Amino acid sequence: MSRLPLHGIRVADFTWIGAGSFTTKLLADHGADVIKIESRSRMDSLRSSRPYKDGVPGINRSGYFADRNSSKRSITLNLKSEAGKDLARRLIATSDIVANNFTPGTMEKFGLGYEAVREIREDIIYIAMSMQGAAGPEHRYLGYGLTMGALTGLQFLSGLPDREPAGTGTNFSDHIPNPCHAAFAILAALRHRRQTGQGQYIDIAQTEPTIALLGPSMGDCSVNNRLPERSGNERRPLAPHGVYRCQGEDRWIAISAWRDATWAALRAVLGDPPFARSPDFDAADGRWARRHAIDDGIAAITRHWDAGDLMSALQRAGVPAGIVRTAADIVDEDPQLQHRGHWVRLTHPEMGESIYNAPPFRISESSVTPFAAAPLLGQHTDEVLTSILGLSPSDVEALRREDVLT
Amino acid sequence: MCDARISADANALATSWQSSASASDAAPSALAGIRVLDLSGLAGQYCGKQFADLGADVILIEPVMGSPVRRDGPFIDDRAHIEFSLPFAYFNAGKRGMAIDLDRPEGQRILRQLADRADLLIETAKPGTMKHRGLDHAALSARNPRLVMTSVTPFGQTGPYANYEAEDIVALALGGLLYLGGYADTSPIAAYGNQAYLAAAQFASVASMMALLSVDTDRERVGQHVDVSIQECVTMGLETAIQYYDLERIVRKRTSGQQIMAGVGVFECDDGQIYLMAGGIASTRFWENLVRWLMDEGVEAAGQLLESAWESHDYLATSEAKAIFSDLFAPFARKHTKAHLYQTGQSRRIPICPINTPRDILTSRQLDYRNFFISQEHAPSGRNLVVPGAPYRLEATPWHQQRPAPRLGEHTSEILATLGYEPAACAALVKSGVVN
Repeated sequence: MSRLPLHGIRVADFTWIGAGSFTTKLLADHGADVIKIESRSRMDSLRSSRPYKDGVPGINRSGYFADRNSSKRSITLNLKSEAGKDLARRLIATSDIVANNFTPGTMEKFGLGYEAVREIREDIIYIAMSMQGAAGPEHRYLGYGLTMGALTGLQFLSGLPDREPAGTGTNFSDHIPNPCHAAFAILAALRHRRQTGQGQYIDIAQTEPTIALLGPSMGDCSVNNRLPERSGNERRPLAPHGVYRCQGEDRWIAISAWRDATWAALRAVLGDPPFARSPDFDAADGRWARRHAIDDGIAAITRHWDAGDLMSALQRAGVPAGIVRTAADIVDEDPQLQHRGHWVRLTHPEMGESIYNAPPFRISESSVTPFAAAPLLGQHTDEVLTSILGLSPSDVEALRREDVLT
Repeated sequence: MCDARISADANALATSWQSSASASDAAPSALAGIRVLDLSGLAGQYCGKQFADLGADVILIEPVMGSPVRRDGPFIDDRAHIEFSLPFAYFNAGKRGMAIDLDRPEGQRILRQLADRADLLIETAKPGTMKHRGLDHAALSARNPRLVMTSVTPFGQTGPYANYEAEDIVALALGGLLYLGGYADTSPIAAYGNQAYLAAAQFASVASMMALLSVDTDRERVGQHVDVSIQECVTMGLETAIQYYDLERIVRKRTSGQQIMAGVGVFECDDGQIYLMAGGIASTRFWENLVRWLMDEGVEAAGQLLESAWESHDYLATSEAKAIFSDLFAPFARKHTKAHLYQTGQSRRIPICPINTPRDILTSRQLDYRNFFISQEHAPSGRNLVVPGAPYRLEATPWHQQRPAPRLGEHTSEILATLGYEPAACAALVKSGVVN
């Protein structure tokens, strides 16, 4: 087996909650030694967020925390104490990357702002992922995944036009745009450092990657002076394109059959129903004009189908179609994700065996996958202080007695 | 287009393959010297853009009739034309472009020559297509062992769904995100804006950089093939849904259109909506700030929200609590604008945000302070497009836009010239339809 891509890279990881922890998970699962610096007095709030193993609360039982922190080590340091700050500085001196997603000013309060860290390690790559960036009139404003969806336009644009904005139903920016952009920026900076020996400061505003993904809509608004609107599952000028009810409780299928050929194939699979025979529907613009009638006609038939059978029949006919999978379906039923080994079960000292996401890509000749369950709070404090910082077990005990390791 | 005049210019200008990289900026680029061939459609073009914007030399390779993305709206000035597509203009800024028919041996030969000197090739063809063309990773890396090739497909290169057809909404469905979107009383509703394709493009960027760094680190190491599944990328965005099922056997459903708990959700205001998050994960430390605000604004009955019952998350989740909260907060919110509620609420340390429209975002004072939006030249219309700029700020190696998206075939002759094709040979390739 070849070495993992980030073998030999150490991350002093001050991130918490969503986007930051997911970013360093990507690094950890690829072999970086990610040391999560935690504190009992200011705990990562995901540790006390549902879901919990067996529904029983506990700071080492949260699945929300676990999935975002695979393959990492955890140490607890009291950064309010001088000795705690000193240990953090010593750890940073051995690190390649320092990561945080605090509100601007927090790391400076600990004496761990970029300028201070550069004094410790000149070629450090230092990434700050605050909500709205390092400076500006709103840079100290509070935010979380859901409020970010609101700020970025994704919420306004997702949902039905005559209902309140729906968004994705998740903290979307935390899980895909921000971690991906942050990881890409870090990797680019690592490459630059390898070429030049130069580290750098990276500032990410957690609103901006998602807005960047909406570039065409921003352009539509700025150049055409048009306000893009919510359109449910419609995508102008594609018809039919939507989500249709199937047999069973809350079962649905997504179908996109707007091309002439896929429309013909859809009609055939649905049994050439009379509603679909209108010559008006032979051309794409005719289908778009009467898309509501078409959607109603399709739904009247799909409701008698099992979603899985219909997906198979449509796929055999070359029509893009997919079951609207629930979380249960995805874990238990999806043969493709199973084929790819997406779900990884890891054993955790307190949670036992639980589920983790592997990275959603495969790199040939490399076996990248989460290899260790999330750490217990402070699980690796002794190990890291002795093996990396060279402290003796009695030094560690003394620090513990002095309340430095909490 | 490959006319003689442009060929002559290209010969004069193109001293090396990298000649187009912006040399005018003093700051170095993080990805300078990396040569990328971007053969992709919508599931990969943002990946190529990310490389270009950090200084890689990216060539977009389109079919001779143009990338399908050129046919996607919205269009500049609403003109449905291949040079006026906003998605194309945005996702391909920073790249040079040429058009090649990869189904013809002469076109395949050109691509092999390009791949011989490339570091990364990104493609989104159906599994098997590149192999059929003799352009799969095995074939290309036999000639250039350091080549990294990133393939983005709906479900990955192998497996029971490998040959399934999918578009964005289908990948959202099978990846589980679609089920979480929408209102409790409607069908599931897909996220806006091709988020499945873009998720794949973003993970393709991360994976490609991982593979490139591996080649960089270890000179002996051969370039690898990266297999990205769009469906699998979507599953990364399910928040807690998988863990709720795994740990508590609860299947999360869509919940929009209602408060998640008292104090968390969408509220109408004078000019749109705001999102308030005064409970939930952020916990109750914001609750008191919110109640004080309401009382200071004359909503005296809000005092009841400080009673001990409101400390319990279980109570906050009841419909009684939601109704009481809404009766107090909603009439207050309706009297004020998004901007007022945002700025005043935030000054009181309450997580409250406007539900921004694209227009609000274009005029955001915070984004303006950060010079987030940039102006991008669009020659076919003579317009300047205002579009998002740097999504990350690398202080030593800044993001910057290199050039507008290429017109169809804009750099075909320039690039062929660097491969040693004479103008006459280039013209013959155009005439026979191998390139455009």
